Amino acid sequence: MASLQNNPVVAFVVKGVLTSALATSLASAGFAASVKEYRFTVGRNATISVDTQYGAISVRPGIGNQVVVTATLSSDKVEVDRMQTGNRIEVASHLLPGSSQENGQVDYEVLIPADANVTLRSSTGPLSAEHLQGDLTLAGPDAMVNVRSVENGHVHVQTMRGPITISDVKNGHVEIESISGDIHLKSVDGSLVQATSSSGSISYDGDFGSEGDYKFTTHSGDIEARVPADVSANFRVHSVLGRVRHDFPLTAQHSRFPVKEGSSFIGTTGKAASQVVLRSFSGKIRLKQR
Amino acid sequence: MKCEDVQQILPEMLDGAPGSGYQSEFDTHLKSCPDCSDLVSDLKLISSEARQLEASEEPAPRIWVRIAAELRAEGLIKSEDEPQATFARPILVPTSPRRRTSAWWLAPVAAATLAAGAYVVNHQAAPQMAKQPAAASPATSPAPVIASVTHAPAVTPTPLPVSATTTAAPQTVRGNELAREMASLAPSTEDQQFLSVVSTLSPSMRVTYENQLQAVNADIRETQAYVDRNPGDPDARQHLMDAYEQKELLYQIALDRIQ
Repeated sequence: MASLQNNPVVAFVVKGVLTSALATSLASAGFAASVKEYRFTVGRNATISVDTQYGAISVRPGIGNQVVVTATLSSDKVEVDRMQTGNRIEVASHLLPGSSQENGQVDYEVLIPADANVTLRSSTGPLSAEHLQGDLTLAGPDAMVNVRSVENGHVHVQTMRGPITISDVKNGHVEIESISGDIHLKSVDGSLVQATSSSGSISYDGDFGSEGDYKFTTHSGDIEARVPADVSANFRVHSVLGRVRHDFPLTAQHSRFPVKEGSSFIGTTGKAASQVVLRSFSGKIRLKQR
Repeated sequence: MKCEDVQQILPEMLDGAPGSGYQSEFDTHLKSCPDCSDLVSDLKLISSEARQLEASEEPAPRIWVRIAAELRAEGLIKSEDEPQATFARPILVPTSPRRRTSAWWLAPVAAATLAAGAYVVNHQAAPQMAKQPAAASPATSPAPVIASVTHAPAVTPTPLPVSATTTAAPQTVRGNELAREMASLAPSTEDQQFLSVVSTLSPSMRVTYENQLQAVNADIRETQAYVDRNPGDPDARQHLMDAYEQKELLYQIALDRIQ
């Protein structure tokens, strides 16, 4: 059986049958899926924008100064517009009359130079970017957002209710805004790390870097930060109506701001290298030791 | 003093609270921080404009309705009962500014929402209100949060009870009433318009946007009610501003997507 699977002729036949079956099923559903590839040559720090109403976008580094966009169109009810102006590339889905969320979907896989600045927009997502060093902007009302292994860039994420996961960001400038999406940050540090969600929760697992400003705010969502024992930060934590607690000793700090037992605390640990502000109106806040 | 400290005491500073001990630190920070300096300038402008509104003899309580009516009269927006053929184009994805036309008005509306929020935060919970005895101000209970999702064409936030009393200066009372009215009425009008456009351009997203809108409106009302009861709580006032910013964010997201 294994020899049959490894046989290139059998593999070709199986692949052909499967492709034919997929095409038949899409055709019977009224869709004619197609895959298109677009290539561009850019210089250093190019700006690349990909925008689709429906569909996934993933971006990762490619080879050299090439940008390769692979678009999978779910039907002929949607087109791909693309434009290059110098070092700037814009790719966008273009819905045609009669389109819907099902037949208007375009999924993009994009390979770019690692130093490029990227903007990704999709209503449905998911949106993902990894191993990049330029500035990233990812936005979409319902889009699930996943960013990992990013260095030295500005990461700006905006969703309405899509969950956001950011991991392994070094020396970043991170700004995340969501209305009801949960925000998960793991090993994220930089000069500024700011996350805001109204009803979504915010979780942080990391060491708050060194000399950065970290500010997490929710209205009703909970905030939880898990930090190592040797974390070095000045914490200011306050929930107007919710409860706050911390699991490890902090050196109390004098502050002009009132401290109310159970709903706020201000204190430092280590050399207080970073400033950490955790605020919620009615959510619970917990600072835990890893 | 750091930027977040400035933001914490900003309302107090803008109101020129006497006896505050942070003035020199505040001024020093502004000299060295262009971002905070710009923020203060913007808020002073909004504050000054709001005071003009407050001081005028006949402030238009339904100012948002008027603005909408004028925009409608100029043909810049459509009323709900007019044919919406111009919106019925299938292209929903903006790729360049030239495509961002049909819902352009959301941008100023979002800005106006934030301005209204800044006005409410900076004036409704001003220090002079904090000096009123608690007993003189009728207790305000949080406005009921809309628990169930309705599909009514408009979201009408529950007006908040007015807590201003005759012990306050008349102009302050009027300003507070106006601020409260802006907070409770403005979303109603703009929300109707907003949901109308969403329904036309992206019907499948209407329920989603409507739910989110109800949620941010509920947050605003909840925080507002708390600020009414605790006017001297700077953090609550900051949360009120944050809640308005969340609403602005919702409009921005819509502006980006439903073209």
